[in-house]
Amino acid sequence: MTSARTWLERIRGLPLPDSVRVMNVCGGHERSITMAGLRGALPPQVELIPGPGCPVCVCPEEDIYAAIQLARRDDVTVAAFGDMLRVPCNAPKAEPRSLEQAKAAGGDVRPVSSPEEVLAIAKAHPDREVVFFAAGFETTTAPVAGLIANGLREGLPPNLSVLLSGRLTWPAVALLLDSDTPGFDALVAPGHVSTVMGPEEWEFVPKKHGIPAAVAGFNPESLLAALYSVLRQVIENRPFLDNCYQAVAQPGGNPTARAILNDVMDVTDANWRGIGVIPGSGFTLQEKLGDLDARVRFSIEPEEDRKRAGEMPPGCDCARVVLGKIYPNQCILYGKACTPRKPIGPCMVSDEGACRIWWASGVREQAGADLVRE
Amino acid sequence: MEDKYISLAHGNGGRYMRELIAELFARHLSDPSKEDTLDVTLDAAPIGLGEGEPYMTTDGFIVQPLEFPGGDIGSLAVNGTVNDLAVSGATPKYLSLNAFIEEGLEIATLDRIIASLAAAARAADVQVVAGDTKVLPRGEGGGLYLATTGVGLRPAGVDLGMHRIAPGDRIVVSGPIGDHGIAVMLAREDFEISGDVRSDCGHVIELARTAMEFDGLRFMRDPTRAGLAGVSYEIAQHAGVTVRLLETEVPVRDSVKMVCEMLGYDPYYLACEGRAVAIVAEQQAEALVSTWRELPSGEGAALIGRIEEGAARIVLETEIAGERILDDLEEDPLPRIC
Repeated sequence: MTSARTWLERIRGLPLPDSVRVMNVCGGHERSITMAGLRGALPPQVELIPGPGCPVCVCPEEDIYAAIQLARRDDVTVAAFGDMLRVPCNAPKAEPRSLEQAKAAGGDVRPVSSPEEVLAIAKAHPDREVVFFAAGFETTTAPVAGLIANGLREGLPPNLSVLLSGRLTWPAVALLLDSDTPGFDALVAPGHVSTVMGPEEWEFVPKKHGIPAAVAGFNPESLLAALYSVLRQVIENRPFLDNCYQAVAQPGGNPTARAILNDVMDVTDANWRGIGVIPGSGFTLQEKLGDLDARVRFSIEPEEDRKRAGEMPPGCDCARVVLGKIYPNQCILYGKACTPRKPIGPCMVSDEGACRIWWASGVREQAGADLVRE
Repeated sequence: MEDKYISLAHGNGGRYMRELIAELFARHLSDPSKEDTLDVTLDAAPIGLGEGEPYMTTDGFIVQPLEFPGGDIGSLAVNGTVNDLAVSGATPKYLSLNAFIEEGLEIATLDRIIASLAAAARAADVQVVAGDTKVLPRGEGGGLYLATTGVGLRPAGVDLGMHRIAPGDRIVVSGPIGDHGIAVMLAREDFEISGDVRSDCGHVIELARTAMEFDGLRFMRDPTRAGLAGVSYEIAQHAGVTVRLLETEVPVRDSVKMVCEMLGYDPYYLACEGRAVAIVAEQQAEALVSTWRELPSGEGAALIGRIEEGAARIVLETEIAGERILDDLEEDPLPRIC
């Protein structure tokens, strides 16, 4: 296999234009890029922009609020992926503002890393309602669908329900490309999502928009191969969808996972925190599942009168970070009011959030004005 | 002992407690062939110190689960304390042991753990000369908590410490990092993954002794909680230097790397319980690595970085010669690992 250093040499040898902005969709890619120090090693013309690939960051505020309200009930256990626990919502000051705070106040909140753990919790506590707050992209939503599909065959514990906050990644990129200012010249498409849904989902990027694209894996070799590919596409003005993660992301993706998603979930318009409703970007549980849907079981309705419902916290620029409009350290809160210890915005909470990743890699200074791209 | 489980009566000061101490603790820890061995009839033990400067350290242990691949809370309680003495340049001599036992703990489990503790003490050539047991009501302890205090002797004339660290010095580690942290985490079974990672739990006395034969040795530390990054951060802060680590040189087992990648952990922050990190003069670094590699506890020793003039921080040079900063640990990555 070609080594990371070789790919880097090849990139350095390319006749690059003055500026190429490459967006990476996936939070996992941003982590690998930052942890490998890729930005500093690439030629200065190449700008790497973290994109919308952090499910925790875009999980609607109202869903987090709803999960917290469930966790405050004496008869409910809320299970959620670990990085959801610290995401703040805009609850009134006297109330818990995150699942972690709800837990500290006596709520039964369990961090989990897989749907199977939730099943085990539900079985172990038949006397309690167990709600699985499942926020995630296609990669996380597919196993949730698997749990439900299995349950339809073999039976699910009656005390289990799912508060689903599943999202599809490509519509967010489509939203950017359909706007007047996408803000990037090439795209590194997500590897895990392509593994589930098939790389073809990203064909629209070169075909409809003329933007070079390549699916990448998560080690520096694969990422640099994808960067090399899209840079060459830019130089040769020959956009196509390349696959630099072929061993794993195969044509058609994972047919079983896709079939299961189709069996139990519908795709609908969905709200992205701080960004708004993106058409065809959300998973919902099919009506036939009845009160397995926690929104049905607990009559969770859209709220109208809560202050700042649905919004980012005051001053927080996470939405623009998610859309690649600014770098994390261009937010005025970055590293000042907002740190991993006391996060204000979701991007500082999740391991896939660009702010958190940049902070973890040692970026402490706020960016100067010269970095502002808007 | 006739009982199968620890009851509150085992902490009442009466017959049950005496039985527990005599038939379990003393059986494992008392060695009649040694003059300075544990004597349960005494309220306080005399310790002959001999030549050298006495050093003392203490540590508490709350690891969950109590037993894990490669070790248990007993071996950890010896090695954790012994290693703090060893990397300070002192030869460990005596330990005290406090056991806080939760009502309901299986006595067979306690017996295995204390046997393991005794074996670790023999391996480190230290005597447990004082101890105490308390029993906590069910629900008030994690099965068993241990605390050990250690006394050791450091030869006269040894000068080790952060003050001796200077730009140009090299950083050597005695073996792969992160084994203990990952082994304990996998043993907790909180995650739906398994692996064959064993804790590196062991003493570093031989490593420390051989390193001290190098006059260029500046400083040693055992990278326990917060791992290699934690030690490096302390060095950077206290010595006011940049610690440069080379990603391609730091030994990390593939199995550890894999689990880290799956769960988003950074091996640099994971605890080791049988490794030593040494800062040594540039000219002697290679020789120290060779010396350590001769030892069973140092087979995986490697030269992993250097001390540089500059801001007090850790720079990790990545495999593609990029850089990132390793910062002080913000959150606990793994609960109850030592």
